[in-house]
Amino acid sequence: MYLKWRVQRILHQFRHALATPSRNPRMAVVLGRLLAIAFLLCFGTGLYSHFLQDPLPWMTFLTRPSWLYQVTQGIHITSGIACFPLIFAKLYSVFPELFQTPPVRSFPHLLERASIALFVAASLVQITIGLLNTYQFYSLFPFSFRHTHFVLSFVVIGSLAIHIGVKLPIIARYWRKRDAYDEAGVLVVHEQDPDAEFEQYDELRRLTGKRQSAGVTGRIFEWIDRAPAPRAPQPVATSRRGFLVTIAAAAAALVVFTAGQSFRLFDATNLFAPRKNGTGPQSLPVNRTAKAADVIDAAMSPNWTLTVSNGDTSRSFSYAQLAAMPQYEAVLPIACVEGWSQYALWRGLRVKELMAMVDAPAGADIRVRSLQTNSMYGVTTMGPEFVADDLTLVALQLNGEVLDIDHGYPARIIAPARPGVLQTKWLSALEVIG
Amino acid sequence: MTAIQRWRIALVLLGLVLLSIGGITLLDQVPPARYPGIALWLLGALILHDGIGAMAVFGVSVLARRAQRIPLPVVLIVQGAAAIVVIVVVLVLPEIVKRAIGTANPSILPLDYIVNLALFCAGVVTAAGVAIVAYLLVTRRSARVRQTGSAVR
Repeated sequence: MYLKWRVQRILHQFRHALATPSRNPRMAVVLGRLLAIAFLLCFGTGLYSHFLQDPLPWMTFLTRPSWLYQVTQGIHITSGIACFPLIFAKLYSVFPELFQTPPVRSFPHLLERASIALFVAASLVQITIGLLNTYQFYSLFPFSFRHTHFVLSFVVIGSLAIHIGVKLPIIARYWRKRDAYDEAGVLVVHEQDPDAEFEQYDELRRLTGKRQSAGVTGRIFEWIDRAPAPRAPQPVATSRRGFLVTIAAAAAALVVFTAGQSFRLFDATNLFAPRKNGTGPQSLPVNRTAKAADVIDAAMSPNWTLTVSNGDTSRSFSYAQLAAMPQYEAVLPIACVEGWSQYALWRGLRVKELMAMVDAPAGADIRVRSLQTNSMYGVTTMGPEFVADDLTLVALQLNGEVLDIDHGYPARIIAPARPGVLQTKWLSALEVIG
Repeated sequence: MTAIQRWRIALVLLGLVLLSIGGITLLDQVPPARYPGIALWLLGALILHDGIGAMAVFGVSVLARRAQRIPLPVVLIVQGAAAIVVIVVVLVLPEIVKRAIGTANPSILPLDYIVNLALFCAGVVTAAGVAIVAYLLVTRRSARVRQTGSAVR
């Protein structure tokens, strides 16, 4: 009997019990701003990384500074990690909204709630799969990480825009602190909150005479209300500050203890990042080993050659022939899409000089082929801005030694400001496209 | 039409365009066989967060409220320290699991995350302890100063 009003009463009781000083519209606006900045940073840097790998035909990219991709992708991963405490805090601050009464007021209200559900779910999944991808925990995904992450980025930012649009009047009202709090630090409330009091005279009581504190759930919520959250101005302000300090400390801890994989400044405090500078063969991390790429036999073969071609003009070079040509050195970072990066000293031949040996036209794209055939990155494309750059090398040495097999022996690409997946290892051919 | 109304319309339209791009990309690049897996993750995220995580936080905060004999700042320091530890543990735990299962090569997850997590937790507990002691010392000294002042008057 009166199921609708019973549900409404329970929802009201939940909202009343959930009320705390840190759950108010001003807090939601403050946290929402920070989260939106972090999301937009992730989205912008993520799109940059995506288009470096899958450029549209008219796109051209900066090759300087050489650490550009290291920084953009480091920001992508680090701000993604910082999103965790921010989104937890934002959802905490608006959690009572989950128990709105009535749950659906109109069709637009249903759409609004559905868009928020999509926004929350997509955001949580997006940052979680992004984090798991940094250490290749693919066995948890019943989908392709790369495509799903790309699709969800538009879903997250699209639903963020709709959410901001829907909430804009509240955001504007609580944007500035001086408009949000009075001189005593108490939130300026524009509408009477129906959930402020526990023993509210509601429809169920009118129909049945039962008080809010009646029944099992009523007694539980009454027990909860006996020790309410702080309501006097000073404890309210203290509680709010404590909440903000906690979130700031959690975000700072995650950044300080993980950013070392991307930024040398934090290397000494790298406790939790999936990568550590200086680990791996030749003191450099590896994403894919020669064994995983199934190239060991082909790469170690004495008959290995690098083929450079431009239409019908084609030349093949053995390792000894390549090593006998003029060599150049470049200090460049390997900067992985997974966020880790590390500088190294590379030595090898300039790609543009190799391409000139087959009369490659200036401004041509080239196709880069690897010995590996079981990867979508076995064949990649390099735009003319990278081909022409003096720092773009076919590297034969790393830190003064012959390349380790896991770093691409006998030869690999290294270029400035490019994702690690495009720094093709175990080279087999360079071809002018078109 | 006010400026806010114009911005609202523009933002909602922008959002719909971006959602459409996401939808078209989904249809174009993701095989339909993958849709149930994605839907399961989206639904699971809501259940895990709203149904379990947020409710657990609610339960803990209700219990914390009952510690009314303890000064509020002390309760906040303890709550804050616990929240920081929980957030970091939630993020580091999958690394520990993945490292135990095995990684593609030894340069992935090369650190001892269990030891590092234990060190971090110890650091947070120590910092919280220092903060509580400092708060109690400061408040007691302030109380003594107030008592002395009123005795002099």
